[in-house]
Amino acid sequence: MSNAFSVTQQRKQTPLWLWPLLWGALLLIGVVGIPSADSLFRWIEPDARQVIYDRADFHVLLARHMSVVAIAAIVTVVVGVLAGIAVTRRWGSDFLPLVAQLASLGQTFPPVAVLALAVPVLGFGTVPIIVALMLYGLLPIVRNTLAGLHGVDSDIKMAAHAMGMTPTQILRQVELPLAAPVILAGVRTSVTINIATAALGATVGASNLGDPIIAGIVNGNMAYVVQGALIIALLALTIDSLFELLHHHLRSRFSSSSAS
Amino acid sequence: MIELAHVSKRFGDETAVDDISLHVPKGKFCALVGTSGCGKSTTLRMINRLIEHNEGDIILDGQAIEAYDPVKLRRRIGYVIQHTGLFPHWNVARNIGLVPRLLKWSVADTQARVAELMNLLGLPVSEFAHKYPHQLSGGQAQRVGVARALAADPDILLMDEPFGALDPITREKLQDELAKLQARLHKTVVFVTHDMDEALKLADHLVVMREGRIVQQGTPLALLQQPNDPFVDSLLGGLERGLKQAALTRVKDHMTSMGPTLPAQSRIPAGFSVRQALSMMLRDHSDRLTVVDQHDVPVGELTLRRIIKEAQLDKGSTPRE
Repeated sequence: MSNAFSVTQQRKQTPLWLWPLLWGALLLIGVVGIPSADSLFRWIEPDARQVIYDRADFHVLLARHMSVVAIAAIVTVVVGVLAGIAVTRRWGSDFLPLVAQLASLGQTFPPVAVLALAVPVLGFGTVPIIVALMLYGLLPIVRNTLAGLHGVDSDIKMAAHAMGMTPTQILRQVELPLAAPVILAGVRTSVTINIATAALGATVGASNLGDPIIAGIVNGNMAYVVQGALIIALLALTIDSLFELLHHHLRSRFSSSSAS
Repeated sequence: MIELAHVSKRFGDETAVDDISLHVPKGKFCALVGTSGCGKSTTLRMINRLIEHNEGDIILDGQAIEAYDPVKLRRRIGYVIQHTGLFPHWNVARNIGLVPRLLKWSVADTQARVAELMNLLGLPVSEFAHKYPHQLSGGQAQRVGVARALAADPDILLMDEPFGALDPITREKLQDELAKLQARLHKTVVFVTHDMDEALKLADHLVVMREGRIVQQGTPLALLQQPNDPFVDSLLGGLERGLKQAALTRVKDHMTSMGPTLPAQSRIPAGFSVRQALSMMLRDHSDRLTVVDQHDVPVGELTLRRIIKEAQLDKGSTPRE
């Protein structure tokens, strides 16, 4: 999880917006092209009856996968950032250790265990995987929100206070903008991990890009596994490069570190 | 006008400020001097209610500060701190315009005021308005800090070691500019510093603090002439005190009309300090200087005897506190 705070070096020769375009294009090619790449995957599984996963269209699986991750991300961002803000206010500081521990606890639970526990309560389908992703993705967001808000120079907060800004004004105009790059890094970590973790949903009947992987494992067909993994990896790279772009945009507005 | 009467502040068992009384008349410059941890910054922050005092009264313009809404109170008091506390994600113009925007001034009024202040503080608008704090030197950043504090034209200005982090040359330059600014704007200033020379140079009223108490207060000259405590004496430079006092008096206040003898070779402008006159006497091996006006025309003379005699008179006439 060390990448949450790392500042990625800007590559001088390639503009940053090129990467999401590149990975996005490859993702599109993968989704559209896999069904007709029979000969390519035949090379992986020469003896299988069928080498292209065809129980669902890849674009449908991709859309379901993305919506599961997106719903979990929206909920975790809202809950995580609000919790982080609440416990860094004077009235909420008593809950700081509790919230920090709860968030860590969420990540120590393996998502598979969360699924196993959630299915009896929530039934099969998409809901248990969203719950698992939320628990799993909460820690990076809470932790980075706390780090970002704590990282705002106390002189700056004091000056804001002394100039006659209200606590709400200080939060919205000073603390959150200054903490935004760090919070964003947490969201990025959370979402990238969850894109991979969401594949587990296939084990509890949530149809997504994990389906080809699970089907491949069950039937001993490596070609299916490769197809699912490839699309998931390309999706993760696309989303991650988009975050990189956003991160750079935020940093470059006021920090000298991005200029170097 | 700021009035503190028997004000105390405790943090837990520790008494940070202990029964201090202080009066700063409107338009006067008051410096709080002392070593670190003497309670001078705490005293300053009690005035704009960043810290609430436990005992005593703090009166601002005839009204106890508890009667003001803290947020509104702070918007009418300028505040400058050592490390500027500028918002790194805002450019210079936006930083300076903070309080006018909080007070809901119109955009045009705010812009005009920001431009006026930038010119006043020697920051050309075209060059600096769109720079970010990390692009400024320490001196420029503190000018922006002062401009931000003055933006809504507050009557009261609180400054907490504003020049403490600057190099000596920049510090002296900003001190000179602040003195000029104050001569023009006549704000009621409370200025915290540990640098006695800075305080002597700028203040109308000097307050020496130690361990939360006021050890002595008065005009810089009164303290130099009669420190009532070895601590104050050492802060004022001990043996150097005589020279510091001479630095605060002008040649024109000590000169006499031209004597019957030939004018002395060495010439000194009337506006210079007596300290500079003494230095010139030492340099030129002379106990007599010709005082000239700004057009280099002799207007009087200054003798060593006279300087020493006047210093004696000053000392004799100072009332004991």
